[in-house]
Amino acid sequence: MTAAIRTEGLGKRYGRRLGLADLDLEVERGEVFGYLGPNGAGKTTTIRLLLDLIRPTAGRATVLGLDPRAQGIELRRRVGYLPGELALDERLTGGELLRYFANLRGGVDPHHVAALAERLDLDLGRPIRALSKGNKQKVGLIQAFMHRPELLILDEPTSGLDPLVQQEFQHLVLEAKAEGRSVFLSSHVLAEVERIADRVAILRGGRLAAVGGVGEIKAKARRRLEIQFGQPVPADAFAGLPGVREAVVAGDRGSFAVEGSVDALIKAAAGCAVLSLTSHEPDLEEVFLDYYRAENRGERHAA
Amino acid sequence: MLRSIFAKTVRDQRRSLLWWGLGLVALTVVTVLYYPTIRDTPELNRMMENLPEGLRALIGGEADLLSAAGYLNSQLFSLMVPLLFLIYAIGLGAAAIAGEEERGKLDLLLAQPVGRRRLVLDTFAALATLLAALGVVLWLAVWTGARLVELPIGGGRLAAATASAALMALLFGTLALALGGATGRRSLALGVGAAVAAAGYVLNGMAPLVDALAPLRRLSPFYYAVGADPLRNGLEPAHVAVLMLSTAALLLLTLVAFDRRDIAV
Repeated sequence: MTAAIRTEGLGKRYGRRLGLADLDLEVERGEVFGYLGPNGAGKTTTIRLLLDLIRPTAGRATVLGLDPRAQGIELRRRVGYLPGELALDERLTGGELLRYFANLRGGVDPHHVAALAERLDLDLGRPIRALSKGNKQKVGLIQAFMHRPELLILDEPTSGLDPLVQQEFQHLVLEAKAEGRSVFLSSHVLAEVERIADRVAILRGGRLAAVGGVGEIKAKARRRLEIQFGQPVPADAFAGLPGVREAVVAGDRGSFAVEGSVDALIKAAAGCAVLSLTSHEPDLEEVFLDYYRAENRGERHAA
Repeated sequence: MLRSIFAKTVRDQRRSLLWWGLGLVALTVVTVLYYPTIRDTPELNRMMENLPEGLRALIGGEADLLSAAGYLNSQLFSLMVPLLFLIYAIGLGAAAIAGEEERGKLDLLLAQPVGRRRLVLDTFAALATLLAALGVVLWLAVWTGARLVELPIGGGRLAAATASAALMALLFGTLALALGGATGRRSLALGVGAAVAAAGYVLNGMAPLVDALAPLRRLSPFYYAVGADPLRNGLEPAHVAVLMLSTAALLLLTLVAFDRRDIAV
């Protein structure tokens, strides 16, 4: 079976401004793929290229084996999309808007729409202009899920949702995955992706910075450790240890940032009396920061 | 009413269409009911005949206010009706693609399995349908009013004049649609559409008076809409063809231009 999404050297320039450069990406069928990056990194640009809303200036992409430009209608029939900037027709009710899109699609089961609304706790009878941001987002989500698409492309799907609904959303994504469907979701809220994604890609300044399994990326990530010693230790005791990127020792307290294995640090600390040790599980925020730092270092070297 | 982009577009306009219809009815009824007063004041006609030709051209070129056709032309069909139809059509044409796009609503619509050409064609069909509806309202209002005050005007001629104005409005609405479709900018579509309409009106009125401009009159859509006086002479097939073919050309341009470009966020 063809990949859910495949891009080769995909790029987009807006005049002289770079939107996306040289993106090679492959999203497998049945996988939940997190697409991460800060605002303006090129996430939305990528997604809109995949849906043929904008056209690439370099490279190519296929979605479910289809060419976005030449086979756009067929492609969009099989894809569910949630835009990052959701603008809905305020004059309609949620139910009317969903009926409109269902009519344009054809073959949408109205019971499924009702069931989704029930699960997300959305009143379909209310006019969209009277809905809160979170409730509008639910209309957008139902719209993306209602035809049981083979591939879901969701741009910042949980923005504006309260935690309970976010949880329900995660269930929807995992159910889609269990049914063999693929999910491509962008986010800058990293915690949500960490929990449901099989793999993630990190995008930075229009370029792909890393792709890998969530565990793999976390393994490379920087971890923070706090150590409370039994007595003051020399300030330079932990300098230059492999993997230790930051070592701040003040009296009997030490604060460290370690990349990869913490083995060297622990062995060095074992020489002192250790009262307590706190390790913070790295989250993808830290990974992000690392990639930024890496990039900045690279720039300084280049200069 | 949510079956297709066409039906949805018409539905979105139903309230605005109602107000436009009411306004048109009010305008025409007052105008037509005023006819007996004019008819019984022959001095007006003498005054009009004595006006300099240039001034008369500016206010529609009609000298004979006492005849039914002369009165309706001067009060409705040479300026007021085309102007109102134009405003309606240009506004609609500019809002249809560019307006929706500026509000960010095209992203989700075009993520449905509909092609961009379908969007353009449905929008155009909605524009034509709404203009036709406005035309029918106008025709009914004038015709009914005319019966009330014994203003002798034939239904067929009245239909010809209405259709002429509506066809020209469709041309300008399609121009605005093309500009909006090609650029995604509603204000540009509105502004350029209105400017071309104003230029066309002045050109058609002035060209007969200024020798240098005379050949240019054929560039003005107004010439093809009102130049042959459809209220007196019925539709001139060649003029109708020019209006329709220009509209078709603009529609084609919209299809090509809108299909090629990026949709703004």
